[in-house]
Amino acid sequence: MSKDKKKISLREAMQLSMRGYRIWWKVNPKAFVAITLSSIINGVSPYVGIYLGARIISELAGARDKNTLTILVIVALLSAAVLSMASAGLRRWRNYHNALQFFDLRKIYADKFVSMDFRSVDNQRTQDLLYQIRQNDVMGWYGLRLLMWIYARIMYALVSIIIAAVLIIPLFVLRVPESGGRLTILNNPLFIVAIVAAMLLITLIAPVLSTKGSGYWVKFAEESKFGNRIHSFYGYYMSGGQRALDVRIYRQDKLSMKMLEHYVGFGPKSSIAKAGRGPMGGLFALSGALSQVFTGIAYVFVCLKALGGAFGIGYVAQYIGVITSLSSSVANLMEAFGDFRNNASFLRTTFELLDMPNDMYQGDLPVEKHSDIEYEIEFKNVSFRYPGQNEYALRNVSLKFDVGKRLAVVGMNGSGKTTFIKLLCRLYDPTEGEILLNGVNIRKYTYHEYMSIFPIVFQDFQLVSFSLGQNVAAKVSYNGKKAISCLDGVGFTQRLREMTEGLETSLYKDFDEGGVDISGGEAQKIALSRALYKDAAFIILDEPTAALDPIAESEVYNRMNEIVDGKTAVFISHRLSSCRFCQNIAVFHEGQLIQRGSHDELLTDSEGKYYELWNAQAQYYTA
Amino acid sequence: MAAKPKYNLFQNSGFMIKMAWRHQKNVLWPVVVLAALGVGTNLIGLYTAPTILGAIQENVSVSRLLTLILLFTVGLMLVYAAREYVGLNRRFGRFELRQNILAMIQEKIMIMSYPNRDNQDVQRMLEKSYQTVNGTDKATQEIWNTFTDLLKNTAGFVIYLLLLASLNPLVIGLVLVTTLTGFFINNHLNGWGFRHRDEDADYSRKMNYLNDKASDHTIAKDIRIFGMKDWLDDVYKSTYRLYQDFVARGERIYIWADLIDVILTVARNGVAYFFIISMVLNQGLSASQFLLYFTAVGGFTSWVNGILTGVSKLYKQSLDLTALREFLEYPEVFRFEDGESLEPDKKKSYRMELKNVSFRYPGADKNTLDQINLTIEEGEKLAVVGLNGAGKTTLVKLLCGFYDPTEGAILLNGEDIRKYNRRDYYLHFSAVFQDFSLLPGTVAENIAQNFEHIDKDKLISCTAKAGMTDRIERLSKGYDTHLGNSVYEDAVELSGGETQRLMLARALYKDAPIIVLDEPTASLDPIAESDMYNKYNEFTGGRTAIYISHRLASTRFCDRIILIDGNRIAEEGTHDSLMAKGGKYAELFEIQSKYYKEGVEENE
Repeated sequence: MSKDKKKISLREAMQLSMRGYRIWWKVNPKAFVAITLSSIINGVSPYVGIYLGARIISELAGARDKNTLTILVIVALLSAAVLSMASAGLRRWRNYHNALQFFDLRKIYADKFVSMDFRSVDNQRTQDLLYQIRQNDVMGWYGLRLLMWIYARIMYALVSIIIAAVLIIPLFVLRVPESGGRLTILNNPLFIVAIVAAMLLITLIAPVLSTKGSGYWVKFAEESKFGNRIHSFYGYYMSGGQRALDVRIYRQDKLSMKMLEHYVGFGPKSSIAKAGRGPMGGLFALSGALSQVFTGIAYVFVCLKALGGAFGIGYVAQYIGVITSLSSSVANLMEAFGDFRNNASFLRTTFELLDMPNDMYQGDLPVEKHSDIEYEIEFKNVSFRYPGQNEYALRNVSLKFDVGKRLAVVGMNGSGKTTFIKLLCRLYDPTEGEILLNGVNIRKYTYHEYMSIFPIVFQDFQLVSFSLGQNVAAKVSYNGKKAISCLDGVGFTQRLREMTEGLETSLYKDFDEGGVDISGGEAQKIALSRALYKDAAFIILDEPTAALDPIAESEVYNRMNEIVDGKTAVFISHRLSSCRFCQNIAVFHEGQLIQRGSHDELLTDSEGKYYELWNAQAQYYTA
Repeated sequence: MAAKPKYNLFQNSGFMIKMAWRHQKNVLWPVVVLAALGVGTNLIGLYTAPTILGAIQENVSVSRLLTLILLFTVGLMLVYAAREYVGLNRRFGRFELRQNILAMIQEKIMIMSYPNRDNQDVQRMLEKSYQTVNGTDKATQEIWNTFTDLLKNTAGFVIYLLLLASLNPLVIGLVLVTTLTGFFINNHLNGWGFRHRDEDADYSRKMNYLNDKASDHTIAKDIRIFGMKDWLDDVYKSTYRLYQDFVARGERIYIWADLIDVILTVARNGVAYFFIISMVLNQGLSASQFLLYFTAVGGFTSWVNGILTGVSKLYKQSLDLTALREFLEYPEVFRFEDGESLEPDKKKSYRMELKNVSFRYPGADKNTLDQINLTIEEGEKLAVVGLNGAGKTTLVKLLCGFYDPTEGAILLNGEDIRKYNRRDYYLHFSAVFQDFSLLPGTVAENIAQNFEHIDKDKLISCTAKAGMTDRIERLSKGYDTHLGNSVYEDAVELSGGETQRLMLARALYKDAPIIVLDEPTASLDPIAESDMYNKYNEFTGGRTAIYISHRLASTRFCDRIILIDGNRIAEEGTHDSLMAKGGKYAELFEIQSKYYKEGVEENE
């Protein structure tokens, strides 16, 4: 992988970077204005100081006129004051945008995640990409963030170089007079060309060396990825509260210390440190030394010309100041270009994520939505494989839902129950076969409209750390009465009464520190009421009582009639007791629908899976 | 800050230097070398232009001029090369030292007395301790730069003071006054961010929470099904706007600091111009000497500023380090190395006893467990049942030695467990708790809890007892399959039920004399659950075993059942005796079993 990365051409680097800039431009065009203006002021300021300083020195070396000196000093002081103030104002503006940038960046990825197909979010590769992108950002702002930094550096360097070029013209134009003797050789255009060529060469080589040196970071970053992951696991996650018991009982602290010691990352024994002491350090040192040769040559040329009488020492100060500044600006520019190229490989990762296609077919048929509409759903020879898997998770499932009836889906762990639900609500599309809603393939309906007819309480449902009312409605503005009646419906009345702020009470403390903590059972009830609030003709419950104790479980069962209330309902559970109040039961085994019927019908088949499952549990209660 | 910090700036500097001396000596020399190089660069820079200008003014010979330039250039080349080289290499030792300190923090959390984890003070200190190690710019690494800067600026200050001695002392006084004034005003204004850091952290936490939710694959389903995108977006936007205002408010205050800085700089430079130019005009100083002195005044200012900034940085870092040290030195409530050591004897059976045990969580207003008396005989299989929140898990935590009782005592074979080294005591338990903890590593490593010396036969037999053999054999790499996708790209994700079995296999591999299982079938399907019950006696063998569950079916195969209700042991006996008694247990059993019985009226 690291080898590919080196092969990025300048052209591709440019293309990737331009794409990145377009994204930033869309997010916040003002940031570009702030950076540009502040770079111009910062580029100009030092030269004003150099120029005026040189005039003062000239005056002191020459006429020493008090009035002229007074004026020069006042101009120098005032111009410095004005420029510093302008620069400070612009810097503040820029800092403002910089502060927002971190969140803007995260928002770019957040937006991508909420809009991409579920199958992409559910894919480990996608999560890995995000992790990698975050690591790159942490490592050295690599990726999108570095682009703005590079832009600022390039703007600043360009402005500085242009002004330096203007100020330095007289150095070449002013001639050493005949009185300079041998030094008139400096007037020879060839000499000038040689000097400029030598300086250019150094300017180009020094940053090339340091970029090459920095390239080691990129190279070793790739190599140390694994160690970093191990380290961040043992260095942070291992001490989490959920692990505290196991850590002590299994003495995982010893193991962790061993791992932390072994995978220390960029320590003195790492290969990057060896490179740092060897070739990489050498490159840095060489580049540091070379940058001073540039100044040396400039000094020689300027001073000899002055010695020959081409200009006075005020100009010597000016030219030396300008050349020093020019040299660092050119180096800056070169380094910025180096970063540009190093960054390109990280941008590839960024775009790999941002380019993840949404390739679920999006139909445009509207779904009629009334609670009294009858939705007839049918699975026709549906088979499904998770992306990248060889094994089928579902095989040849055909099943028709009876409108207004309750269906229990049962089976062992891994039998395909949850996958079945994921297909039903189109989180995934079948690999083979089709699912029909009122006789039409569900792919032909508008995607989000179709999804919205299925309120589901997933086994691993999630609430958000906002107010209770918002959680029930899944919206900022909610109908309080309706929310309360939904909460009543699931037996949350008592707990709601205990909450001092009622529906406005925040859940958990992640978002609002004044939020309340709720138990797993309470969360499950809120999730249930969220499904009820949708008022849909369908309701799907995946292990709805897993977090509940017997009494609470029995309470939910008792309320089931009220909760389901004439809707078509699907229950997934491995607590088979829930089958008793369902008219229909579908038994899944190894991805296939193997049995269907009512509880009593299925129990008559003593060879069947249902019989086995039922008795595995019932034996303890009926014997 | 109300209380005076426990350690001062010098003590904390000493602490870091001692740490470096012990773990990474190579952190120390770059501090001195880089400071020296910094001063060197500055001095060469200060003299280069004036010396050469002076030489030109005096019209020296070409060869002399070239020699001068050559000398300065070579000097600069050497200094720059060394700076780059040392500057690059300083970071490796610093990095490792910071990681060593992180490891110390981790070790402390992992081995500290368990009740300390619940302590708010400890949590706060822990948060702050992390803040000292979680980045290259944090106290434990950045402090070396602070030392370098302080050293450099102090040396520079002294040298320039000697250099400027010939100037009017008024100039030096003025420079000191303007710099100090500017520094303190600036410090105060720029402290706005520090004073409002809680507000800042609040916005960051909220926006990070929302962004994290967006990429969380668990909530992704809910977001899609319930159309939650707009909801999350609305909340994000309103938070973002507040944050924008907050940042703008800060910047509008900081700009006053900039303005004051500009005014003071103009005043200082004005005075410097006046005095030095007067010296040139009246005392016959040359133009190049003007340049030298004027640059020196500017330099002097920045040394003074550098010292002030360095001290205030060191002060902040010292506060951070105090929090770190307080955490690392936080006293333990359990005995560890200072307790009696104890070796589990695998051939022996153990008896456990709770004597008048009451327990109250710190800060709670009533006892979670009240006056519990319970003896678990050698080799006995005990089931603990009760509703959610009844205190089952608390009882287990007391037995395993995670908490000490508020009143009463817990005895192991008649001896109070508080006198033992608590880490030795933990060796006596093979436990499966409700929270799973997979390690990034292979299946085998997860079961054996070790990366080497894994007993293959034992591994296979424990896996079989846990009912996990089939699943592992279906994995393409079997026992060598990686788990933990935060580290391994080829990691396999196990389902909840599979993970639960893996945890059971791990407990069995540990082969400790007391087995504790807390809701071990919560994620299992009926057949797996039943399988587990059937095998229970086989894998517990002659060992003392404690089984916690709210599923009453699970209790049949235990010798004795206790029901926890109302903070105490409400009922006790075998399944049959408890059913016959017709109390709470019988009631709960009735509720659970009603759906399994024939003749239940069908709904509708």
